[in-house]
Amino acid sequence: MKINLLYGTETGNAEMLCEDIQASLADEHEVTLTNLEDAALANLTAEGAYIFVCSTYGDGDLPASAIDFGAMIEAEKPDLSAMTFSIFGLGDMDYEETYNNGSQRLLDLLIGCGGTQHGPRGLHDASSGKPPEDSALPWVKACLATLPA
Amino acid sequence: MTIKIAIIGAGPSGCFVAQSLGKIHPEAEITIVDRLPVPYGLVRYGVAPDHQGTKAVIRQFARLFEKQGVTFTGNLCVGDDDSADLSFAELRGMFDAVVLATGLSEDRRLGLVGEEARGVYGSGAVTRFWNDHPSDQALAPEFGNRVVVVGNGNVALDVVRLLAKGTDDFNGSDFDPARVITSVTDIHIVGRSPAHMAKFDAVMVKELVKIDGLDVRLDGPLGQLQDDKRLLALQETAAAASPDITQTVLTFHFGWAPEAFDIVDNCVCSITFRSQDGAMKTLPCDSVVTAIGFDDTRREFVGDGDGVIETGLYCAGWFKRGPRGTIPENRQDSQKVAQRIATDIAGIAVGNAKPGIAALQDRFGEQIVTYDDWLAIDSAEINAAAQGRCRGKLKSIDDMLKVVQKRRNAE
Repeated sequence: MKINLLYGTETGNAEMLCEDIQASLADEHEVTLTNLEDAALANLTAEGAYIFVCSTYGDGDLPASAIDFGAMIEAEKPDLSAMTFSIFGLGDMDYEETYNNGSQRLLDLLIGCGGTQHGPRGLHDASSGKPPEDSALPWVKACLATLPA
Repeated sequence: MTIKIAIIGAGPSGCFVAQSLGKIHPEAEITIVDRLPVPYGLVRYGVAPDHQGTKAVIRQFARLFEKQGVTFTGNLCVGDDDSADLSFAELRGMFDAVVLATGLSEDRRLGLVGEEARGVYGSGAVTRFWNDHPSDQALAPEFGNRVVVVGNGNVALDVVRLLAKGTDDFNGSDFDPARVITSVTDIHIVGRSPAHMAKFDAVMVKELVKIDGLDVRLDGPLGQLQDDKRLLALQETAAAASPDITQTVLTFHFGWAPEAFDIVDNCVCSITFRSQDGAMKTLPCDSVVTAIGFDDTRREFVGDGDGVIETGLYCAGWFKRGPRGTIPENRQDSQKVAQRIATDIAGIAVGNAKPGIAALQDRFGEQIVTYDDWLAIDSAEINAAAQGRCRGKLKSIDDMLKVVQKRRNAE
């Protein structure tokens, strides 16, 4: 299957997680990895499944590499009705009030343009001390296993 | 020919240079040298012990050493003073490129008479003490009941938060339970600027709401709220943090510049501030923590360029830009430096082979603490965690080296 893996990152943690996800899927799937900073609207109409990984920064904001992308979606309102996507968020419960707001914002933007979310939003808490790949890799597998053909 | 690069300083900026360089030139031989036997610099010793989520960036750096072929050369001091193990010139003779990423550690001073008195502390030293940095364990600050924190940045708020928290509030952190400050009943945080120009982030203020028994107050109105996130956060936090049983009162003051200490018997007993219109305010206190940044007056910084000092010698992070900016800001800057080094590397003449890490290993042998040695220290610290803590840090270089020796003896 073709999988489009896109990430929004500030410190590089989401980027590293996506490299892990890509490595774990590479044997069975054709995975393209894109930083949202480099993503154009054309990247959202490609064939295949979409997986977004997005952290949170500042006061519950999108991370640096996703800010322009978010603004572009908001301004251009592309038709994403053909897109089925899953989304995984990186957050930190030390900042409880805005925990994982970045991935929620990105989710809202995609749905607002007609995208269809598949599976629950995956969530990781950095203050848990557990590696994000421990929860993200099973989450990815579960999402892909239940994708409609 | 393999290009050999040494980065001095295993803090976040040095690690991000290595990460970025490794992506561009996977075949380069990269070593990160640190004077301490342990890596990660300010992530380990500057990020507050109750912000473990922020410290999680260490996973990226661990991967450098575990999978990306970067070596850690710990317990080796490079410099031009007598205590150094080798000079910069010697190191440069061994490597094609050297990157200085040693950060900055001296607290900026207020410059007031009495700053040397007992009870007046710099936030950098206090933070390192709290983070168990081996160089600052003699500090043993005594805060008493009433503390004035001077400064309005995120470090000032880190200090306030750690002073205000009780034992249970530190669950999941690596803050030594024996160091929880229980004596403090009054904290004043005083900033020179008006509230809307304060430097801290809104999330840092909001975090205070979670502390049991903390009453947050504002001394005077904040001015026009408009839609300033920080001002809203202050107002909401002051409204929300009003516990039934108050253990500690925290008061925010804005627009007051420090004017003079009152010192009696070489101990601070109050600090006086002046407002822009000449009004004076004196806060009696048992201790003062100055959190006005790190000393950036000793030399000029290169700024936001690509970090070239001369061909083959580069700088990164706070050492390059001055003591400003968060981890992600310095990550972006480190990527820029790495890009420049990568470009310069292309021009290095073939045949001019430098010995690299092998020369350091030949000369310093067992003195060098390797990444595997660090992993032994790491696991000793995790095993030493007290109840409710994720880690119990070793506080002296001797203790760290003992663990290293034990590991080597066992092999």
